[in-house]
Amino acid sequence: MRFSGFGDMLGHWAEAAPDRPALLYERGGQLQMCTFAEMDRLVRARAEALRQAPDQCRGILCDGSFDCVVEIFAAVLGGKRVVLLSDMVPDETLIDMVRSAEIGSLWGDVDLVESLSPHLVPAAEGGPGRLLFFTSGTTDRSKAVVLTDASLMSSAYNGGALLPLSPEDRLLCLLPLNHVFGFVCGLLWGLSCGAAVALGRGQRHYGDDCAFFRPTALSAVPLLLGFLLQQGALNEELKLVLVGAGGCPKPLLDGVRAMGKAVHFGYGLTETSSGVALSLGSDPYAMTVCPDDAIAIADDGEVLITAPTCVMEGYWRRPADTAAALADGVLHTGDLGRLDWAGRLILTGRKKETLVLMDGTKLFLPEYEGAIGQALGVTDLCVVLEDKGPVLVLGGPSGDKAPLWEKLRPLMAQRPRGQQLRDIVFFGGPLPRTASGKIMRWAVQREGSVEK
Amino acid sequence: MTRREEILEKAKTIIVESLPELEGQEFSESTVINTDTGIDSMGFTLIICRLEAAFDVRIPNRQWQKLSTLGDVVDAIEKRLPQP
Repeated sequence: MRFSGFGDMLGHWAEAAPDRPALLYERGGQLQMCTFAEMDRLVRARAEALRQAPDQCRGILCDGSFDCVVEIFAAVLGGKRVVLLSDMVPDETLIDMVRSAEIGSLWGDVDLVESLSPHLVPAAEGGPGRLLFFTSGTTDRSKAVVLTDASLMSSAYNGGALLPLSPEDRLLCLLPLNHVFGFVCGLLWGLSCGAAVALGRGQRHYGDDCAFFRPTALSAVPLLLGFLLQQGALNEELKLVLVGAGGCPKPLLDGVRAMGKAVHFGYGLTETSSGVALSLGSDPYAMTVCPDDAIAIADDGEVLITAPTCVMEGYWRRPADTAAALADGVLHTGDLGRLDWAGRLILTGRKKETLVLMDGTKLFLPEYEGAIGQALGVTDLCVVLEDKGPVLVLGGPSGDKAPLWEKLRPLMAQRPRGQQLRDIVFFGGPLPRTASGKIMRWAVQREGSVEK
Repeated sequence: MTRREEILEKAKTIIVESLPELEGQEFSESTVINTDTGIDSMGFTLIICRLEAAFDVRIPNRQWQKLSTLGDVVDAIEKRLPQP
């Protein structure tokens, strides 16, 4: 169903199906359930309390709990500008996020809130209905994308229109809510369809949450799906898996299908409030464009998206970046692709100098490659993405990798786990470059002669 | 064998039991878990969970990102074990 915002959705289901389970969660080792009516009541009561608070911007350190979900909805209904934050990023990054998004108050772990309190901006500008999501994990300074509860609900509608869930379904939400894919496809997709959403118990329980909650649907990033498959953690009742937020190797999709479960691959960006295209047929990489969106391919192959109901308002306090990405309402994605005979989107690579990793985070290549080049004292190099993660490709003939690893060790130790190099390969000759001297990454990636 | 060495040996056993593809790999305190072993972030999560269970300790989530080498992991466990 199409809803204009969170309040509209909660109010609708509270009236239409008051006793139906909305959220399932664990407390004290027991499975708990909150109905749509109860959730609507809790959210509105909390929203009223927040409305009285003087600050206009509420930061939420997302821990994925029941209370966290209520706080997010309530802060939006209470008229605050809401910023969703990860509670797992380093302290310096969090401080930078609190300052740059101009957060006036915080919800979350008390110790963390206390440590961040000196950096709050109590007189910050508001913006009712706005939610800010930080683009995930770029090593470039993170940007906050301004979305609204209306754009997020439109995105959930798009997902539900192509992949509807029924009230009998149970969607398991394992992904962080500060990630737009987790928020829309792990939470709003289920709630907007009137299905129950089971809130995962955190990373310690990735391996046993399926057994605990017995979901029928699951959204996952490729890395998480690979883990669940390897651990034999997918439950019998699970019938539908939605994979997104990163390139997914075909064997992984085949592995899920071999278990008799439907698996769909989704493409979207934070800037479009999550998914704009989903695979529905047998080819997991041919994606049907969502009802509210239109996709065109530029002359240079770049994927251009027109999504009036879902596209971001812009990057917070970054008008130049906003103008560069969003010209005349058309989002320039930086992804390369083509449309097949049926108008389905097939991605072919990246134009922007970032890699989208299997855990859904992004790696900003100029800075990363610069640091590697400095450590090794070489310039003919690039980083490409293979199944297990980032791989360093060096121009020139084969050589001994051991001294290279030794030089890279301090640099890798400073990087988040998902961003650390998995391998070094030798290209066998100079890396292919454009006339202007830029490395042709796609040619390096596709070159069969890369020597391991 | 010191307590630290015992922790290290037990940790090595648990790592290989959790991820059998690492059988035969050399581990030391200076082993950088990601780079030297090829363990991805989900494999890391699995190992830490199993180590926590085996040693009956709980390493706060926000500490996980700071564990780079096997020595860091041993430190985190040792610090949380009751004093002998």
